[in-house]
Amino acid sequence: MDYLINILLLAVGTALINNFILHYFVGICPFIGVSRRVDMAFGMGAAVTFVMTVAVLLSWLLTGYILQPGAPLSTWLWRTFGGDASVTVDLTILNYIVYIFVIAFAVQLVEMYVRKFFPPLYKAFGVFLPLITTNCAILFACLEIMKHVGGAQYWDIGTSLVYAVAGGAGFTLAIVIMAGIREELDHADVPKPLHGPGITLIIAGILALAFMGFTGVDKNLRAKLVKDDSGAPAAKSPQKAQKPAAPAIMEQ
Amino acid sequence: MMIIIILLSGGIMLALALFIAYTLGWANNALKVEVDPRVEAIGVALPGANCGGCGFVGCSDYADAVVHKGASVTLCTVGGSSCAAAIAAIMGVDVEESWPYRPAVHCGAKSSQRLGMMEYRGEKSCSAANITGGVQGCVYGCLGMGDCLRACKFGAIEIVEGLATINYAKCTGCGACAKACPRNIITMVPFKSDRMLVVACSNKDFGKDVRAVCKVGCLGCGACAKINTLFTMQDNLSRIDYDKYGDDTPQAIEAALQKCPMKRLIYTGKPSSRDIDAVASEKAQDIVTDSFATTVDKTTWKG
Repeated sequence: MDYLINILLLAVGTALINNFILHYFVGICPFIGVSRRVDMAFGMGAAVTFVMTVAVLLSWLLTGYILQPGAPLSTWLWRTFGGDASVTVDLTILNYIVYIFVIAFAVQLVEMYVRKFFPPLYKAFGVFLPLITTNCAILFACLEIMKHVGGAQYWDIGTSLVYAVAGGAGFTLAIVIMAGIREELDHADVPKPLHGPGITLIIAGILALAFMGFTGVDKNLRAKLVKDDSGAPAAKSPQKAQKPAAPAIMEQ
Repeated sequence: MMIIIILLSGGIMLALALFIAYTLGWANNALKVEVDPRVEAIGVALPGANCGGCGFVGCSDYADAVVHKGASVTLCTVGGSSCAAAIAAIMGVDVEESWPYRPAVHCGAKSSQRLGMMEYRGEKSCSAANITGGVQGCVYGCLGMGDCLRACKFGAIEIVEGLATINYAKCTGCGACAKACPRNIITMVPFKSDRMLVVACSNKDFGKDVRAVCKVGCLGCGACAKINTLFTMQDNLSRIDYDKYGDDTPQAIEAALQKCPMKRLIYTGKPSSRDIDAVASEKAQDIVTDSFATTVDKTTWKG
């Protein structure tokens, strides 16, 4: 139950509180470029979510088994080639290059697969799929995974995938809201120097301020969930209620 | 130690590269989608403007439609007849004679010639002004707020003295302006020659009502229709049957043009040598450039 609560809070935290676009300001280029129409924005969001999930899955595997300090596969190779057994093998220098590599690979493969088996989806994604290769939101998600695979707050593969899907959902939410505003903006009398990206960036800033209102939602939600959870079964398993509350997942 | 780490890194990157290359190579074969070579050839022949003037989503969609859905080869207005000929050669069909379709503005009244103008403080867009009503006397004429100008991707429309004016040198005939105009004043006309005859009025009311709202509107007198069968009267408005328009038409209808009391039958398109001579001695206006000071100072907030 704790695990599920943690997953739920992680999803809420990633999609709303620490929204990739409106909190970390990554993935701004598609946010500004592809937010003219709601349907196109939604297509972009869906494609990002899709690729992010695949890329996070691959980078979780690669980080865990090859790249992080003392990873099993690289350690085994090191020993096989006669390396000192007391040395911890650390290939973290390869992180960035491997992630970029993996993202490009995932995009290519996903594009071919979707083109073959889901032609309507391919048509809907259109030009957005190749564009995602250079989307920094995806790389950002991979780097977060890197931090958490080797770091103090260990994320297993399920948690990582939830992080990716929720991050993609947050991206979609932000870009669709933006597209909705920009469609209405066509009817507004915007001062000439602000036409185009200028007014869009100002709106993005206001949206980011609005999204700051979600700060603290996860703590209150956790308090509610943990209380409800420990209320009913407390009689059956009192030792569970005594457990200290898990540390907050999201780093603020 | 160092050398082994370097070798290990290099080896892992190499292994990853080999794995990815192999997987992609396999996927390229296994997930291949057969594309008709004609679709690709037509895609190359098309201009790639993706304007949507043909009625399909973009150039690639049109190329697909030509091959698989039997769409006509002459639909690309931007590419014109040379493009149609190239597509026809790829498809192995004969191309029927076609003319470039270009927009024509069916309103000829400058701001000073319109009557019943009211002060309008709403949104500066034709679609908004059109539903507001009472902005100007004529409910058929150009509002001059530039919806067509904003719709044009090629910068071919200017608003001159409150009237949309098309720069035919820049126009590609995609038809975006005709779709944008809320009063349907702009229509796509087959340009059978560089200069084309159009009726520069859209007012369907009787002559007396037209006079009340416009100094230059078509009165629906029918003088042109009596002289030449090229013209027909419909809803108190002269219409031109472009199917009958031929190379010798300009001479044949000279009398009708002279007879028109409001001079609403005008040629549009490339200026004639006489028009060019008439303005040759005039000094062109200086080009006005944007400066932030004037833009900011003179902009009043109307939102």
